[in-house]
Amino acid sequence: MNNKEIPTVIPPPAVIPPPKEYQRFNVIERIQHVILFTTFLLLAFTGWPLKYPGVEYSKWWIEIWGGPETAGLIHRIAGIIMLLNFAWHVMYLAYRMLTGRMKFRMNTTIIPLPKDVMDLVKNIMYFVGIGKEKPKFGRFSYIHKFDYWAVFWGMGIIGLSGLFLTFPVQASYIFPAWSLNWIWDVVRIMHSDEALLAIVFILFWHFYNEHLKWDKFPMSMTWITGKISIDQMKHEHPLEYEVEFDEKKEDEK
Amino acid sequence: MVRVFALSFLWLFLLSLNYSANAEPISCLICHGAIKGKIQKDKDVVIDLHVDGEKYLASVHGMLNCTVCHKSFSVNPHQPARPGDVPGNIAALAEKLSHRAKIDPVAHAACIQCHEDIYKGWQHSIHGSNIIDKKKLDGPLCTDCHGSPHYITPKNTINSPVNRKNVVNTCAKCHDQKDIAEKYNYHTYIVERYYKSFHGKKYLLGHQNAPTCVNCHGYHDVRKWDDPLSPVAWENRMVTCGKCHEGATQKFVSSITHKPIDKDNPIPYYVRTGLIILLLSVFAFIVGHVFLEAYAEIRDRVLRKKKGGSS
Repeated sequence: MNNKEIPTVIPPPAVIPPPKEYQRFNVIERIQHVILFTTFLLLAFTGWPLKYPGVEYSKWWIEIWGGPETAGLIHRIAGIIMLLNFAWHVMYLAYRMLTGRMKFRMNTTIIPLPKDVMDLVKNIMYFVGIGKEKPKFGRFSYIHKFDYWAVFWGMGIIGLSGLFLTFPVQASYIFPAWSLNWIWDVVRIMHSDEALLAIVFILFWHFYNEHLKWDKFPMSMTWITGKISIDQMKHEHPLEYEVEFDEKKEDEK
Repeated sequence: MVRVFALSFLWLFLLSLNYSANAEPISCLICHGAIKGKIQKDKDVVIDLHVDGEKYLASVHGMLNCTVCHKSFSVNPHQPARPGDVPGNIAALAEKLSHRAKIDPVAHAACIQCHEDIYKGWQHSIHGSNIIDKKKLDGPLCTDCHGSPHYITPKNTINSPVNRKNVVNTCAKCHDQKDIAEKYNYHTYIVERYYKSFHGKKYLLGHQNAPTCVNCHGYHDVRKWDDPLSPVAWENRMVTCGKCHEGATQKFVSSITHKPIDKDNPIPYYVRTGLIILLLSVFAFIVGHVFLEAYAEIRDRVLRKKKGGSS
C-alpha cells in the first residue's frame, strides 16, 4: 500500500509555548459580577438615607436620587435585579457542576475547607512577624472565599427581608400567626443592620484586597478581561497553577 | 413695607371714626396691635393681649370681626357681657369648657358657629370627652392643635401646625410628655417608635405617601384603639391599612404596633443584639486583618525590600 511507502513522519511534539495569561473568569461570570456591583451600589446609595432619616444630609442625598419616592423605586428595582442575578449565578453553577464542566477539586473550589483556617492562622502569623512564610493559595484564598460567601449570606438575609418589606401584605400570608408580634421588627433589623455590615464589608475587605493593595492599585483588570498573568497566578494562586499546568504535564508523560 | 404703610394709614383713618359697638377688627387692633403686654389673671392664667394685626388679617379668619368669636366683649371699652350677647348653645358649651379654657371660654366655644360638624366629632373623641365628660384638664381644644385662631392658616401652608410637615410634632407636644403618658397609661416612646418605623423614616425623608399619626388614627374624632369607632380598632384596621396596603388581611394588620424593641419584646431585642455582635466581630476581624496586612506589605517592601507582595 502506498501508505507503507511513505515514511511516516511523526511530527515532533508541538511545543506549546507556556501561555502568558490565564483565563480566570469567563464572560458570564464577569457579567454577573458587573450586575452585582452595579445593583449593590444603587441599593447602598438609595437605602442609606433611610437608615439615618433624621440627619439633614440624608434629605439632601435622597433628593439627588429623585426624592424618596423615586429612590424607593430604584431601590426595589435594583434589589429585584440583584436577586435575579443571584438566582442566575446559582443555576449557572449548578448547570456547570451537573454537566461536568466544573469539577470539585481541593485547590480550585470556593467551598471553605479546613485548610482555609490554617491559611488564615499562617497568614496572620506572617503579618505579625512570627511566621516565616505566607500560605500558598489555590484558586480562591480564604480572603476570596470570605468575600464570596459574605455575599451569599447577604443575599439570604438582606434579600429575603427586602422581599418581605417590598411585599408586606403578601409576606404576612406566610408568616405564622404566633410570629406577628415580633417578625416585622426582626425583618427590619435584619435588613438594616446586615445592609450596614455589607457596606462596611465591601468598603474594607473588598476594596482593600482588590483595589488598594500595593500590586492591585487602583484595581485589578481581571474584572474586565477575566485574565490574570501567569506570573501573577504563580505568585497568588500557586496551587491552582499546579493543578492547571503542572499536573497536565505529568499526565502527558 | 407697602402693607405696613397701608395698614398704618388704615389705622389712622379708622382712628378718626368713633368706636362702634360692632367693632371692626381694625379698631380693636389699634390697641391690641400695639399692646405687647400680658395680664396675669390667675395663678396659672396669663392673657396675652397682643394680636399681630398683619398676621391676623392674613389668616383664614382675617375677614371676621373680633366680636364674632369674642362675644363677651361686644361693648367697647370692655364691659361684662349683656344678656343675649352670647347665644345659648355657645354659652352652654363655654360653660362646659370653662375649666379647661380659662381665657375667654366663649371665644373657644364660638368655633362651633362655623365648625359645628367638627365640634360634634371632637366632643365624643378621646380628647373632647376627656374635657367635656370627664371634666379633666388634659386634652386639646381647637387652638391647641391649630394654634392661635388669630393666625390660623390653611393646612397646606408650611406654618400651619397641622400641616403634614408639622402634624407629628403637634401630636408629640402631648404624646411625647412623660407625665401625661403615665397618667393615661400610654407610652412616651410612641413618637420615637414612629420615627424608627418605616412609616416614620419615610415621613422624615419627605415621602409624600408616608402616613403621619392622623392618617391612621384620625384627628378631630380620634378615639382610643379599643373603641370600635377608632380607625385602628381591630374591626376597622383592614380598611384603614388597606388605604395604602391593598388587600390587607387580618394577619397583616395585626402586626403594626408602636412597641419598642427592648426586653419586653425579646425576640427582636436578642436578634438585634446578636446581629450587632456579629457586625462588630466582623468589623473587628476585617479591619484588623486589613491593617495587619497593610503593615506587613509596607514592612516587606520598605524594610525587607522584598519583591512581590502578598497574595
